[in-house]
Amino acid sequence: MVSRAKIKELMNESACSHSKDKKPAEGCNMPKPGLAAGGCAFDGAQISLFPYADAVHLVHGPQTCLGASWETRETLSSYEGRDHTVMGFTTGITTNDVIFGGDKRLEDSVDFIVSEYAPEAIFVYSTCVTALVGDDIDMTCSLGSERHGVPIVPVHAPGFVGGKNLGSRLAGEAVLEHLIGTKEPEETTPYDINLIGDYNVTGDMWQYLPLFEKIGIRVLSSLSGDGRVGSIRTAHRAKLNVIVCAKSLITLCRKMQEQYDIPWISVSFYGKRDTAFAIREIVKALGDEQLIARAEEVLREEEEKLEARLKPYKEIFAGKKAVLNTGGNKSWSIASGLQDLGIEVVATSIRKATADDVEKAREYLGPEGVLMKTPASQQSKVIDETGADILLAGGRSLYTAIKKKISFIDVNQEKKVSYGGFEGLLNLAEDLNYAFNNPVFANVSKPAPWKGK
Amino acid sequence: MEAEKRIALSKHEHKPLQVNPIKHSQPMGAALAFYGIRNSLPLMHASQGCASYTKVFFTRHFNEPIPMYNTSVSDITAVLDGGDYSILMSIENITKKNKFKPEIIGLHTTGLTETKGDDVRSVGEHIELPYCYVNTPDFEGGMESGWALAAKALIEQHTRPSSQIKPNKIVILPHVSMQPIEIEKIKAFCESFGFETYALPDLSTSMDGFFGEQQGKLGQGAIGIDEIRGLGESAVVVSVGTSMKKAAEALLEKNAAIKHLHFDHLMGQDKSDNFVAELMSIREIDPSPAIKRWRGRLQDAMLDTHFLIGSSKFVVTGEPDMCVGICELLQSVGGSIEAVVATVYSPILEEIEADTVFVGDLEDAKKHFKNADLVISNFHAERILHMEVQSHAELVLRGFPNYEELGNQLKSDQLYEGSTYFLFEVANKLQKVKHHG
Repeated sequence: MVSRAKIKELMNESACSHSKDKKPAEGCNMPKPGLAAGGCAFDGAQISLFPYADAVHLVHGPQTCLGASWETRETLSSYEGRDHTVMGFTTGITTNDVIFGGDKRLEDSVDFIVSEYAPEAIFVYSTCVTALVGDDIDMTCSLGSERHGVPIVPVHAPGFVGGKNLGSRLAGEAVLEHLIGTKEPEETTPYDINLIGDYNVTGDMWQYLPLFEKIGIRVLSSLSGDGRVGSIRTAHRAKLNVIVCAKSLITLCRKMQEQYDIPWISVSFYGKRDTAFAIREIVKALGDEQLIARAEEVLREEEEKLEARLKPYKEIFAGKKAVLNTGGNKSWSIASGLQDLGIEVVATSIRKATADDVEKAREYLGPEGVLMKTPASQQSKVIDETGADILLAGGRSLYTAIKKKISFIDVNQEKKVSYGGFEGLLNLAEDLNYAFNNPVFANVSKPAPWKGK
Repeated sequence: MEAEKRIALSKHEHKPLQVNPIKHSQPMGAALAFYGIRNSLPLMHASQGCASYTKVFFTRHFNEPIPMYNTSVSDITAVLDGGDYSILMSIENITKKNKFKPEIIGLHTTGLTETKGDDVRSVGEHIELPYCYVNTPDFEGGMESGWALAAKALIEQHTRPSSQIKPNKIVILPHVSMQPIEIEKIKAFCESFGFETYALPDLSTSMDGFFGEQQGKLGQGAIGIDEIRGLGESAVVVSVGTSMKKAAEALLEKNAAIKHLHFDHLMGQDKSDNFVAELMSIREIDPSPAIKRWRGRLQDAMLDTHFLIGSSKFVVTGEPDMCVGICELLQSVGGSIEAVVATVYSPILEEIEADTVFVGDLEDAKKHFKNADLVISNFHAERILHMEVQSHAELVLRGFPNYEELGNQLKSDQLYEGSTYFLFEVANKLQKVKHHG
């Protein structure tokens, strides 16, 4: 079961930078009725754990929770066995289960999965309904683990306890409690790290992992991009936890520091400067002089190569201005990438950003940059005032771009290519180039023949 | 594998879980129905996730901004609130924040709020705006029934009883699997017979892929609350799909003089002929030259495609009302239906003449893929068909969701015209199978 005490603890994370400004017990607030937008805690938990391809993810709930969400995230996996990340498993409870309890159905489902799919582990997600009727998921999982000899991990993040961020924290708790430290790695090196919070969406990780390899940084385990349950169980032997763009898993890292003495750092791999900075931070934290020297050498080589490839784009983009309207860490991470390409970012949205994100956005945009609190109403004016050439935002803002006759890139839509690492920057450059050159925006803004001047 | 036990058509499940489900939930169907009402506020009585998933699902299927609101039920309000607080506060907060005045609130429940047992009917007494509530737990029924229940609730709660009819007024009740353009085509068909035509719900101006301002704030369907109130004066109600029968019956309760025409679907020559015959007899006029021409084109298409389709085997998955139409059209040109895998049970499934018809998921459907030349299913079948089974079969995408293709909302399979295009699409896919076979 998930207790209120645990939720309170997670919502008051001491390692979060904004916590110092809040009164004790204030923490992150519950949403007002009608105004909660975005995914629920279950959604967050699912996002955090689903990339484990060798585990089956069983959603114990009614139809909406999984029926609408499976096979929607492009979290790529190199797993050679049966890839469960593209599959959907749900108990799909019925009225009968609501009245009499769904434990038996859950137990039968676990048996079915073990016999038909033989996964390395099963994650069982509770949902609002099964939490409310009080199914004893912990017991069913623990009995199942004993019966089958594979870890069956209960994940207590029913949607109604909060948003995605909390769900991701709760997923971290489940992994810490049930998996980390339950297995020893076959070998260890002084350069072992855990990657925390990169889900390898569109292969983001694969953009920077080749750099790690060249330098000699070894990824012992991942939570959870291209991850394996077998390796996260050995995560307690890593020398460093590296959080990638994910505030939500700070709690997990703090607890791992307390329990296993593993230090942690938080980095981003968007853009050239951030990627280089991240790598320097990692090798510095690992503290090996040879590794640091090797990293500098590799970075010098790679940056040189990248610069040569970026040069033609930079010439095209010279003098271009962009307005960015997107959420969370993207408010500064994409800005960083744009700046690396020589584009001036004149404004960015901080509507859904944390205190840290706002600080970073200010740092990247400089004192002149506009930080938009209500971008939907502000962006049109900002485009006029700054003479921006392109708007990068979600689909709803397309109309604004057309009205202002400027180019547009949908940054919130499921993207098909990665913008991460050095290679990803080239993908971003490519997309921008197409957007700037595409006449569609100008064409669509033409008035209809029946509209008078 | 041949000895494998066939799954029987039953109201009961044949396994404890779903693996790769095709079923979608009731609240999602109800939400979609409310998008089809002009200036409606689709309000899901749920925790935020249910609405978020629904929004993402339809955004990706239609490639449109989607209006979707929720009452943000938390673990605390789940226990302490009977629904009044969260629903009333939500309406206040949402209308204030967005500075709009919806013409109707479309409130639909979910598994969570049905489990806690909120009385969503009585909350309405405290709401000043027109309000429609519908009970749609997602542990019962499916998308098809959620949509149908919302249509029924709109009629029951808002249509005025009447004893008079307007002789040329007709209302179509389309099932959930019909895309916006299909509703528009059926309406235009009726209009060509001189009918004043309505559809409930009417997505023809809502999810139809139209570029304009202020999108995704409120439902933009082509029927408004005033028109729903006046549906009791219709001369004819046409329910399309078994799921919509009850909504039609609800309308007859308002006025027993309304003539009820029911069609299991409107695909293929037979059903289109029956539809035309009924409209002709009511209006006592001939169909337009365009309709007559399209019948001839459909017949030509049937002849052109019969060789390919007639020598092929099909697996069809999806909502029952959609499956029955597709099967009948394919069978009318000699196609053999290897299996129908439906999302939920419906009595209409009993009438499909296929080797196997049952309620299941894509794990079940997969077992039949290897025997098929063509699979008609949603986008989830793509990977299973070509990566897992490595079947030679081709795929025609129908039903929710289709994340693979653009322009889903403008694809019509209905009546003479739509059926013609459908047959060609199927045959062209089969052409590839047969040539590579």
